Order: sequence, then C-alpha cells, then structure tokens
Amino acid sequence: MASQVVLQQAMMLGSSSILQTNLNQCFPSKPLGFSAMVSSFRRNAPLISSSVSWRCAPLIAKPATFVARADSNAEGADAAASDDNVEGGGEEAASASSEAEAEAEAGVEEQVEEEPKPPRKPRVKLGDIMGILNQRAIEASDKERPTPDLRTGDIVQIKLEVPENKRRLSTYKGIVISKQNAGIHTTIRIRRIIAGVGVEIVFPVYSPNIKEIKVINHRKVRRARLYYLRDKLPRLSTFK
Amino acid sequence: MAASFASRCSRVSRSLFRGLSNNSPGLFTTSHEMTCSNSFSQLQQQRTFIQMRTVLKVADNSGAKKVMCIQALKGKKGARLGDTIVASVKEAHPNGKVKKGKVVYGVVVRAAMQRGRCDGSEVKFDDNAVVLVDKQGQPIGTRVFGPVPHELRQKKHVKILTLAGHIA
Repeated sequence: MASQVVLQQAMMLGSSSILQTNLNQCFPSKPLGFSAMVSSFRRNAPLISSSVSWRCAPLIAKPATFVARADSNAEGADAAASDDNVEGGGEEAASASSEAEAEAEAGVEEQVEEEPKPPRKPRVKLGDIMGILNQRAIEASDKERPTPDLRTGDIVQIKLEVPENKRRLSTYKGIVISKQNAGIHTTIRIRRIIAGVGVEIVFPVYSPNIKEIKVINHRKVRRARLYYLRDKLPRLSTFK
Repeated sequence: MAASFASRCSRVSRSLFRGLSNNSPGLFTTSHEMTCSNSFSQLQQQRTFIQMRTVLKVADNSGAKKVMCIQALKGKKGARLGDTIVASVKEAHPNGKVKKGKVVYGVVVRAAMQRGRCDGSEVKFDDNAVVLVDKQGQPIGTRVFGPVPHELRQKKHVKILTLAGHIA
C-alpha cells in the first residue's frame, strides 16, 4: 500500500520538528490519498504521521518520533481541503525516489506506480456541476456567434430572427437598462421609445435566435439598473 | 439597492427577535415587518392583467379616445397582450364611428404587463392600448398608431398588423 512505501521512505529521512512545520505550511491532500490515509489510520498510528510528512515535504522531512504525531496528523488531515497540485507533485516526486524500494511488493506497488503516471482528473464537486454546464453551454453558443461584453448603459443594436415572422431579421435598438446574469440565460433589458411609446424588451443574450449584437455607443451611467429612465422624459430613451 | 435591502432585512430580523422576546410589542413589530417587505417589493411596480375597470387608450382612428374594460374574454385573471376584451367607450372624438357609452370589442395591442415569448424574451410597453374591432375581429378604424407586438400574428389579427406603423 502507499502507506508502506511511505514508511520505508520515512525511515530514510528523519526528524519530527520539520514534520510539524511542514504540516503547518501545506494544507491539501488529495481525496484518494486521504482515503488511503484513513485506511492506514485503522492499521497503524506511526504510518499516518509518516504518510503526511511524505506528502507535505518529499525531500526535506525527517520524522524521528512517529507515535505522538497521530493527533496533529488527524487535525492536519481534517483541515485538508482537496486540491490536486501539491498532492500530485508530492506524490510523483516521492514515488520516483521510492520506486527502488517499492518493487519488492508486486501487487501493491503497481498501484502506487500507476496512480501518479496518468494525470489526475479533478473530481467534480456537486456544487460545481451547474457552473460547469453553464460554461459549456456558453462556450457552445460563443462558437456560433461571439457575444460582445455588454454593460448597463450601452446603446446596442440587436438583429433577431423571429421564426414566426420569417422575414429578414428584425432589428432592435436601445439602451441596456439592466443585465441579469444567470449563466446561459443571461438577459439584457433594452429600452427604446418607438413611435411615441416606450418599449422594453428582455433578450436572452446567448439565444440562437439572436443573429448579431453590436454595441453602438455607451452612455455614462452611475447605476446597474436604469429603471429611473421610465419616469424621465422620453427624450432620454430615444435613439435614432 | 442590494445594500438597502440588506439593511431593511436586518431591521426586519431585529424586529422579529424583539417580537419573540415580548408578546405585547410583537403585534406591532410583525406589522412593521410586513410594511418593510411590502415597501421593498413596491419599489418595482408589479404590473398585472387588464381586468374590469381598467382604462385603456385607443390606438386607432375609430373615434374613441379612452375605453374602460368590462370583461376580459379569455383568462380567469384578466386579459394580456393580444387578447380580446369587451369595453365601454368613456371618451370619444366628437365625430367618430363610435360614440361615448357604446359597448365595443377591442384587441389589446400594448400592455404594461410583460408578455413572454417562446424564445425566452419578454416584451412590455409603457401604456395599455386597444384597437377596437367588431365581433368578427376586423378593426373598425383604418389606421393604427404606435407599435404593435408580434403576438398578434399568432392570434390571427393580421389586419391590425398590416395597418400598424411599427411592429415591436
């Protein structure tokens, strides 16, 4: 198991003081590594300390006293957030040096050697899924039609294809009075005075019906939502 | 606006806590909390349907100027953009095709309540307006003023669309 390899390496190395400082410095431990540590928890206290030291400081750490470290290691392990980089680097460096000893035990060691070789895929957390899906959808829509960066106060012109109309591209011009960010359903609200009547239309920015968005101008505004324009003179919402 | 909402929320929570601790001021604080939340939602006007007693502008040259809705023909809560209503003429031009007090049908062409479209967009106008039609759906007037939305095409009011100057 990884812990046994670690113990062998830890024997080579040394003192406990550096182990403690290293514990303070480096936080993370990979999920798999953590589970390995947890399984090793059940077996042997000294193994735990050495495994943590191995992760945190592959070259420097010299654990002398293994026994009393179990408590501090438990804290270090619990406080550890899952992060790949330090763990991956530590593991690869350590495994490279320990490969000589590792070859003694066939089945267990193969696991250790194989794991570091392919690059570890980051584990997707439940809370990230919607964000990742939204990102992918936005990228897919960006490939077909790049969306410019829109902000409140931009005067934009939008060319829309209405499927029921089937005529060439209705155009809408107006000032962006608000932008609601919601991933793929990010919408902007365009206001304009048409034929004497104020009209506000909400457009989903990443909609495939929108053929073109062009920022014509920008008006300096000091707000994120320009709802005050509804009460103001129509002159302020008129755009030729 | 978010900051003011947060401060209002903290005030509400504090009043709630005070209400929990004592019974007698509890009644006062709960009403205070309700007015706080109401005032915040009223910062953005909540536009609703066109229902009985709604006064609408007339967007054509049929002679009427203002009508009051008597009945929304479809919809339990009221009429929306593109729906037909029964209305009574409240104000009219002196010589026009319709006179004051006449009961007419009308098609809502502009509504202050937003109407969602199938592609996720929404449209809303600044005022409520109708075009007077007869029982068959043909407009009484010969011209339509102001913008009209696409939704009329789906409701088969093609004549109004052709008369319109601008399609929103």
